[in-house]
Amino acid sequence: MTKIRIFDPAMCCETGVCGPVVDPELTRVANALFLLESKNMDVKRYNLGNEPQAFIDEALVQELLEKKSTDALPTVIVNGEVKKVGSYPTNEELALWTGIDKDELQPRKKESDDLTLF
Amino acid sequence: MYTDFSIDAVSTTPFLFFTGKGGVGKTSTASATAVGLADKGNKVLLVSTDPASNLQDVFGMDASLKPISVPEVDGLFMVNIDPEAAAFDYRERVVGPYRNKLPEAVVNQMEEQLSGACTVEIAAFNEFASLLTKKEVVDSFDHILFDTAPTGHTLRLLQLPAAWSGFLDESTHGASCLGPLSGLGDKKALYENTVEALSDDNQTTLILVTRPDRSSIQEAGRTAEELKEIGLTNQRLLLNGLFEEKSNDPIAHAFYTKQQIALKPVEEKFIDLPVFKLPYIAYPLTGMDALRRFLKGDEEGSPPLASDEGTPSLPGLDRIIHDLSPKQSGVVMTMGKGGVGKTTMATAIALGLVSEGKKVHLTTTDPAAHLHHVIEDKGLSDQLTVSTIDPQKEVEKYRAEVLAQSATQLDEKGLAYLKEDLESPCTEEIAVFRAFANVVERADQEFVVIDTAPTGHTLLLLDASSSYNKEIERSTGEVPHSVRKLLPRLRNRDETFVAVVTLPEATPVLEASRLQGDLKRAGITPAWWIVNQSMAKTHTKHPLLLARASSERQWIDRSLKENKNTVVLPWFTEDLTGTNALMTMFRKEVR
Repeated sequence: MTKIRIFDPAMCCETGVCGPVVDPELTRVANALFLLESKNMDVKRYNLGNEPQAFIDEALVQELLEKKSTDALPTVIVNGEVKKVGSYPTNEELALWTGIDKDELQPRKKESDDLTLF
Repeated sequence: MYTDFSIDAVSTTPFLFFTGKGGVGKTSTASATAVGLADKGNKVLLVSTDPASNLQDVFGMDASLKPISVPEVDGLFMVNIDPEAAAFDYRERVVGPYRNKLPEAVVNQMEEQLSGACTVEIAAFNEFASLLTKKEVVDSFDHILFDTAPTGHTLRLLQLPAAWSGFLDESTHGASCLGPLSGLGDKKALYENTVEALSDDNQTTLILVTRPDRSSIQEAGRTAEELKEIGLTNQRLLLNGLFEEKSNDPIAHAFYTKQQIALKPVEEKFIDLPVFKLPYIAYPLTGMDALRRFLKGDEEGSPPLASDEGTPSLPGLDRIIHDLSPKQSGVVMTMGKGGVGKTTMATAIALGLVSEGKKVHLTTTDPAAHLHHVIEDKGLSDQLTVSTIDPQKEVEKYRAEVLAQSATQLDEKGLAYLKEDLESPCTEEIAVFRAFANVVERADQEFVVIDTAPTGHTLLLLDASSSYNKEIERSTGEVPHSVRKLLPRLRNRDETFVAVVTLPEATPVLEASRLQGDLKRAGITPAWWIVNQSMAKTHTKHPLLLARASSERQWIDRSLKENKNTVVLPWFTEDLTGTNALMTMFRKEVR
């Protein structure tokens, strides 16, 4: 099973609404990861603001932080290998790493939304 | 026409929450009620969130994090939870251990993320919750009084199923405003019980404290509605500081009339609520005697001093115009909590600059200011232009934009969560900030005067670890040029001038001091403090107002300590929203 670890910069809102501009990238990533998790993928996300210990426990990340400081974040580690430094994975990349169809990483709207009009 | 405040009428439940805008007298009224209840033989716990310095004045003793008995009053205990301190403690607990383990820039980023309004709000709620649900505490008191109440935003967040299921537990989506509480899952039961106790009419009374002025009445109305929707329906309105005397003294007469005008909407707005009043008093609420006199409706207290006695002679607004006169362009921001007169000051400064022959653009965030009349009436259009940033509209625009972008990305649980995130205090700040950055651009060519400023926290979030520009490049949203250039400009003391506006009273001065500290963290040093509405600067002969004038002294002194360029303005008899009145003020002050 694919093991994905994401080390986020310190963020107040992971939905991205508190940033200087709306960052749709953050909502996309949050949702894609949520869906992967619901498919029993081993996904974990660490926010520097809440769980700094994880950034030290993971030697690869600590090393990157020493070298690149905050530019290293976000860092994505897949099966123990650093895959991304300073940006989030695309849905295509997530699909590639997990073997899950890219289309499945799009959210499904609840059908009942349309049926409960009356 | 309103009922006199009475202890019995407001204290039918064990929990009493006093809520309202800063400076309306939450701590004073809660303290007086606590003393009154204890005097009737009850066992009472007063929970204060006031900065300790003020509470210390009220009770003449230090409050602590553990309930301690107040020696002069049988049965009264006091505990002080300072949400800022609670937030600070939380921050230190999280950040402290990493200071030497991670690069400094990384640690700074962590720290700033935990310095927002949300962290303070949640830290305060956490403190409430642990008190309200501690059986040994609840059982040992007849009444527990709080001098603040949780906001609707916090309570709604906690009621969202998404706050507890999926999102938080799995830490995949993380938890925006709730983020500061680690191990939140453990607290689910605690928070549920708290929300339940709050919305039980037999357990909780909400006392909305307001002054007889437009902005604090509006705020009380908003809070009443918001908390009612969440189920806190057992509410009372307390009008604090009613001046009911019809006097021949022109200042006192104007003071009375202004209050009456401000009170007009009360009956309509709070139609279902019992309304109580407490009188305008001139003496400081320090010590038990003062608190007890206050409850009895005693207005004057000890004999007043003459108004001008020992009041330092401080300059008026002309000082600010004088300081700016060598320049042809720059950004002038008036900053302060609601109701202190930011918009009026910004307008007066703009007019002052125009009278010096400068070209000025004035922007206001107060939709009621009607600035266009100023220009048309006075034929100033060559020199003065105006624009408005309506915070509500900016927020709506921002919300619509975010939701439109995210609708296809989120399922319904996610969307509900995002919507509540958009109700957070950060959102308005960010939305207004973007409009703000656009206006500031104009300061290349002319003076730009604005009645608001971003908080240091917002600026620092952008600037965390000095990687401001990189942060922006990385973000996938479009960052306008204006935002990019903003922070360097605001930090340049030759280009940007901040006036902190306050009133000569305890809470407004302490709040102004906090605002200034926050700005300084972001590398911005306010140029002036404006102490507004000073009775000492009027020529009133009314004993009550004279007494009030002498009590202003310590707060004017404190302002001077905070910023040596402190300007003091009188309490104006005119309503300063119309064109002519503004010009009057301008003539009086800018010679």
